[in-house]
Amino acid sequence: MSRHPAPDELLLDYAAGALPDGPALAVALHVALDPRSQRTVDRLNAVGGALIERVPVPDVCAIEDTVLERALARLDEVPVEPRPAAPGRRHQAFDWAPAPLVPHLRPGMDWRRVMGKFDEIRLDLPGDFHRVSLLRLESGRGLPEHKHAGYEYTVVLQGGYTDETGNYGVGDFAVGPGDHRHEPIADPGDPCIALIVVENPIVLTGPWGRWLNPLVSRGLI
Amino acid sequence: MLSADEAADLIEAIATRQDRAAFSRLFQHFAPRVKAFIMRSGADPEAAQEVAQEALIMVWRKAASFDRTKASASTWLYTIARNKRIDHLRRNNRPAIDTDDWLTVFAPEDDDADKSVLAGQTYTRLKELLGGLSADQMLVIEKAFFEDKTHTAIAEELKLPLGTVKSRIRLALARLREALEKDES
Repeated sequence: MSRHPAPDELLLDYAAGALPDGPALAVALHVALDPRSQRTVDRLNAVGGALIERVPVPDVCAIEDTVLERALARLDEVPVEPRPAAPGRRHQAFDWAPAPLVPHLRPGMDWRRVMGKFDEIRLDLPGDFHRVSLLRLESGRGLPEHKHAGYEYTVVLQGGYTDETGNYGVGDFAVGPGDHRHEPIADPGDPCIALIVVENPIVLTGPWGRWLNPLVSRGLI
Repeated sequence: MLSADEAADLIEAIATRQDRAAFSRLFQHFAPRVKAFIMRSGADPEAAQEVAQEALIMVWRKAASFDRTKASASTWLYTIARNKRIDHLRRNNRPAIDTDDWLTVFAPEDDDADKSVLAGQTYTRLKELLGGLSADQMLVIEKAFFEDKTHTAIAEELKLPLGTVKSRIRLALARLREALEKDES
């Protein structure tokens, strides 16, 4: 169980299917790693089920028999799939990746060194305006101090990090409000790997920030 | 009407013997409800019917992955309908990805998670508990599920401070959690 679960309101957004793809992926990874949040999402899904049962069905929602007949006619081409094998498949090269991340990992994907400080794999979620990245930070190394114009969601997938708000381990979830600066440092042990989803471009606040920010805003780093 | 047990039996009948009569009964019960549910998020009747039909076809395809010890039929159907709604919105706005890849229907990695949470009995209890939420709390929950709005969007729409909406959600969930945990212990 993680010490920093995703907040309830974000789990509700997720269970209701209201989140854009980037934040939804961050919550999905957290939920995969945190049984308590999984349980909350299960319950919220059950709330969805209860709402479907008690939703008023106005006449306009009646479905004609011909629609059922058409659906029945389609079933010949739709096989009933066998029960799936036990879940929990792990990616070979990225064995720390929880199941919901695996479909986003493409062959040949590899870490890219950024500013000599950390490694990044940028994930492409078509149509989403968030910047979605996997970051890897060697033990003891820090990310450049930065702040965000929008929300930042972080979920730790391996190792851990510490910043002024606390210590974050595998499965922990952090929501960074835009206006706060932080400088996470990777904990001793395995490199820290985290998924980071940022709503708006990051603004570097350190001494080199004003030179590097134009590159960040153009997505070059 | 269809009880939770009857609905689960019907899904299992599809899984074990491709029972088309069982499919018809599920369709008659759930398709209008899914259509009504989807229309609440602003879809027109034709689009909502399309989503409902796709959701029920998915019930047929995935029937073998339904596990009545983990979820009630309605809960399972909700997750399928929700994913179909996301796919539908995505087709309109952006390139298609199959949501089932990552918006998991069941716990992907943790099979030890409490199994009774979603099963029939808890589900019936949950319906009662929803009736016990305050009107303010219920409004926020319904807007999230029916209109697929984030809590931020709900706060904007209701012209409420974000903190107020968050605390309504947290109080509502705390209440559900507390009552369900008391039942389980």
